[in-house]
Amino acid sequence: MKEKTKQYVSLNVQADAVFLPLATSFVENAAVGLGLGHAEALSLTLATEEIFSYLCQMALPDQAIEIRCSSGGYYVRADFHFSVKDFNMRAFNLTATVSVDDEASLEEMGLLIASRSVERFQIAEEKGRGVQLTLVKEKKYPASDEETVPPSRPLPEFSIQGPNPEEVKLFTLLVNRHYQGKVIPGFFKFPGKVVDMVNEGEYQAALALGPTGQMGGGIVWHWAGLNTVECFGPYLFKQNPDSNMANDLLEACLGAIARTHAVGLISRYPTEDLPQEHFEPLGSLTIFNQEGSTTSLTSYFRQMQEDPGTSVWSHTELEFFLREEYARLVLPREIRLVKDLGETKSPFSVLSAEFDRSQKIVTLRPIRPGADADKNMANHLKLFTEESLRSVFFEMDLAQPWQTEFTPTLLKNGFTPRLVLPYAGQGDLVIFQLGDKLS
Amino acid sequence: MKQVRLENLVPDHIKHFEAYIPSKPDDELKKLYGCSRLIRLNNNENPLGPPKASREIIDRFPPPHASIYPSGDVYHLRYKLADKFGLHPDQFLVGNGANEAISFVIKAFCQEGDNIITADKTFAVYEWVAEFSGFQAWLVPLVNFGFDDEGMLRQIDERTKILFICNPNNPTGSYWSEGRLRDFLDRIAGRQIVVVDEAYCEFVENEDYPDGIKMIHEYPNLVVFRTFSKMYALAGLRIGYLVGDREVVDIIRRTCVVYSVNTVAQAAALAALDDQEHILRTRDMVRRGKEFLSKELELMGLPFVNGQGNFIMIKLPMSDSLAYRKLMAQGMMVRTMTGFRFPNYIRITISKMDAMEAFVESLAKIVPTPTPRRKD
Repeated sequence: MKEKTKQYVSLNVQADAVFLPLATSFVENAAVGLGLGHAEALSLTLATEEIFSYLCQMALPDQAIEIRCSSGGYYVRADFHFSVKDFNMRAFNLTATVSVDDEASLEEMGLLIASRSVERFQIAEEKGRGVQLTLVKEKKYPASDEETVPPSRPLPEFSIQGPNPEEVKLFTLLVNRHYQGKVIPGFFKFPGKVVDMVNEGEYQAALALGPTGQMGGGIVWHWAGLNTVECFGPYLFKQNPDSNMANDLLEACLGAIARTHAVGLISRYPTEDLPQEHFEPLGSLTIFNQEGSTTSLTSYFRQMQEDPGTSVWSHTELEFFLREEYARLVLPREIRLVKDLGETKSPFSVLSAEFDRSQKIVTLRPIRPGADADKNMANHLKLFTEESLRSVFFEMDLAQPWQTEFTPTLLKNGFTPRLVLPYAGQGDLVIFQLGDKLS
Repeated sequence: MKQVRLENLVPDHIKHFEAYIPSKPDDELKKLYGCSRLIRLNNNENPLGPPKASREIIDRFPPPHASIYPSGDVYHLRYKLADKFGLHPDQFLVGNGANEAISFVIKAFCQEGDNIITADKTFAVYEWVAEFSGFQAWLVPLVNFGFDDEGMLRQIDERTKILFICNPNNPTGSYWSEGRLRDFLDRIAGRQIVVVDEAYCEFVENEDYPDGIKMIHEYPNLVVFRTFSKMYALAGLRIGYLVGDREVVDIIRRTCVVYSVNTVAQAAALAALDDQEHILRTRDMVRRGKEFLSKELELMGLPFVNGQGNFIMIKLPMSDSLAYRKLMAQGMMVRTMTGFRFPNYIRITISKMDAMEAFVESLAKIVPTPTPRRKD
């Protein structure tokens, strides 16, 4: 199923404080119109107020901003799009305006405050097209009610089918009954949310159904990046060990994406039922749970296409890791080393932070390199500590030589390279995680 | 510099479509994979090369002729084909490879809202051309590795214009017998165009295998594709053709790009048609290669699908894309089958014995050794 064309409304406005009421009123009304409840629409409005005020302070007079609100079924997204030429990019570091040593000034950080009111917050620079600042506020859904789940039994006969909304709900409830939290992504706690995700086409699902509709298992997948699809499952409900159901479900997912531009399929929440002969283990990431414990999750990956080979850029301090990983994964890569030959650098670096507040995860991405990278990174990390965000990742795209300049900064600040995702960015992505003693 | 507002210019069906990225040239692949040799077993090419008469055409092509446009409608080759098959020259359309012919047919008969029907696990170009042209491709699952006639008939609706059948099917090698094809065409009863792609027909020796061209006079809605890329080993020159009822081909010709087939290709293809000995030698090589490979795969305990055509599909206990990388590192280039919706299968082109032996040796290094079978 193809993703639906999203409903959206947009406002073009000057970055001038006199238009703040217009901007907030636009986002609030758009959010309600696009399906958010009043409380959630208010949160998005508050975040908009912070963002718009912040942009007004940072922008040159007459700078134009486009605010676009769109519905993703289970969320409303507000994008603030503006040309970068009139902004100092340094201002988009979360830590730009204040000293992180000063608790009071932390409270004045508009971007940070905005990020607290929403589920997802992201700044991205689109080369030659300006900057996009994104806020995502999700609808509120009731949690699952496991009491209503019918018992499961082995299905000797089944067929793989696309689900209707009621089947999606039942599938979600059965996943929660039969599997432990660590292999279930957070959104599975809300069956209605999964229905909206699938209805909107952003997620796809396939179910194994018996002759009279009994549910034996299922799988869900979605585009997790430009070239990468992520799957959840296959989840099986009391099926016999010799059943082919897991394989058939996975093959339904593979068949659906086989002739798309997907370069890879990743499973970050692998169940025991994942047919491992289809995958290669990439490495593991550690997720800090609410109560402070940790969960180590091995990421499994398969390429969807024949690897034509490519060249990647690397800092010397990352070279050993890359050579080992590329040899282990038999990935044909020409590693080109980036060397500092004394050229003049920008004094200021810029980092983008994407928050996933529901999972307490933050992912950093480099936007600009600069001489202050060590300090800038340290300031960001201090801020994340204040925000109790312990699962901190950094994504480095090896197609971009300038991104590799962050390698010494990352290592100095306690990050460890954990895994390579082939072609997940413009080139391979290296995922670093904060903390070198994580298991 | 002003930016192009592509978002406003590009149709939706193109926005959702991605360009096909072909593999890199051999020298680049060898460098990246660090291998000193590259044995190509990926594209079902004929390792014996073109027939002798075609080679001579290619060898003797006078360089000054490169400055002259080719025959726009491939005149001499069409007349030769007409003579060979006892049809009128206007019943033939020659394209820059059979892929171009697929595009001609779809353009000729489909308009907005129309659909085509084919199998889910077959040559991808029918589906691709339909989708990037903005038409729906309905995909009917194979049954026992073969095209499902009943399923395809059930799928037909009032907007179905063309049904594509790959006979024998790439990559499974299954085929419809003459009786089954006739029954299918009878039940279609001229309501839709039926394309039978016979790219691998020259490899099939079974008596019940139908010659689609001979059936055109009975079924005017039947269009047959053939190619010079496989048996005749002219893949690098890009030449293939379609044949059908004169009235149908006249419609298709309206969408056809003239001058798309170069002079050398036209002449080499014309020369190839008379070389029956080349076909026999190739069939012999394929037969011996398949016998050898089948035995070795059985010893290795690997399931395989060995139908008609110069290829075999092998099921591996690992991801086909991982196997591809491991084989490429040893200089063996195979075709992964995930893109054909056969994940964890690879397709091997049958080649000369030294290549087959080298392939088996490389494959043995990447798959676990099977437990020896106990003799009772």
